[in-house]
Amino acid sequence: MSEHTPHNHPDFRCRELFARMSEYLDNELDGSLCREIEGHLNECQACKVCLSTLKRTVALCREAGAAPIPETLSRRLRELIATLAKP
Amino acid sequence: MSEPTRYPIKSDPDAELVRAARADQAAAFPELVKRYERALYNFGLKMCGVASDAEDLVQDTFLNVYRYLDGFRNETKFKNWVYRIAASICIKKRRKSKFAPDRELSLDEFLPTDETAVEGDVPAWAALPLDRVLNDELRRKLQEAILALPEKYRVVLVLRDVEGFSTEESAQILNLTPANVKVRLHRARLFLRDHLKSYFDNV
Ligand SMILES: [Zn+2]
Repeated sequence: MSEHTPHNHPDFRCRELFARMSEYLDNELDGSLCREIEGHLNECQACKVCLSTLKRTVALCREAGAAPIPETLSRRLRELIATLAKP
Repeated sequence: MSEPTRYPIKSDPDAELVRAARADQAAAFPELVKRYERALYNFGLKMCGVASDAEDLVQDTFLNVYRYLDGFRNETKFKNWVYRIAASICIKKRRKSKFAPDRELSLDEFLPTDETAVEGDVPAWAALPLDRVLNDELRRKLQEAILALPEKYRVVLVLRDVEGFSTEESAQILNLTPANVKVRLHRARLFLRDHLKSYFDNV
């Protein structure tokens, strides 16, 4: 019953990749480490899923978009500018 | 507090404006406000979650920019300096957020469990084209999740992944080491990922 399940992340390579996934996504790792990670990703579906969901999380943050500023704030800033412009 | 590490400034798109502001601050100020009001408002929204708090943040930031512009020495991009002011106001205010208790996030709490790590396909929310996934409800969920982050992680995530600052710039803005920024960013992303995952599991 203690059959080894390869994908419940006991593998140290999975754990190591898990710890460095953001750096990998951000291109902050050196070339040899990247190649090592890519090799692992090719054979480990769990890490692949993990990486793609993390990557999508980052993309969603980037694309979530910016709200326009409300009229109340525009007014406050106009007032601030007017106050500061006074000699 | 120690001085932040100095990085050489390649080119600052605000250099001209800063020069003009040095000559006649009152005259250059409206343009300066125009350039950063929207970005700062959105930074405030992500950090505080409440529109009125975000408005206060924008106003306080510009007031401090006006007051301390003379002390800006071009050791960093002007934009980074502005965000440094905004971030420190945020952190000072540190109103007891009802969303996010201050706590440390550890890597282990985000490790996929056996159950979620079974061999499976990439879920639809990560596989479909982005514009088919992103809608208003998801934007709200994402905002909720960002607000649920403990503040020291939230500010790093917002600077890096929402505002698009680099690791070095974020480190400079927050007076942290780049290594520290990376650690916090990774945990913050994993935290958001878990929130998104459970949201999509229950849709
Ligand atoms: Zn793996």
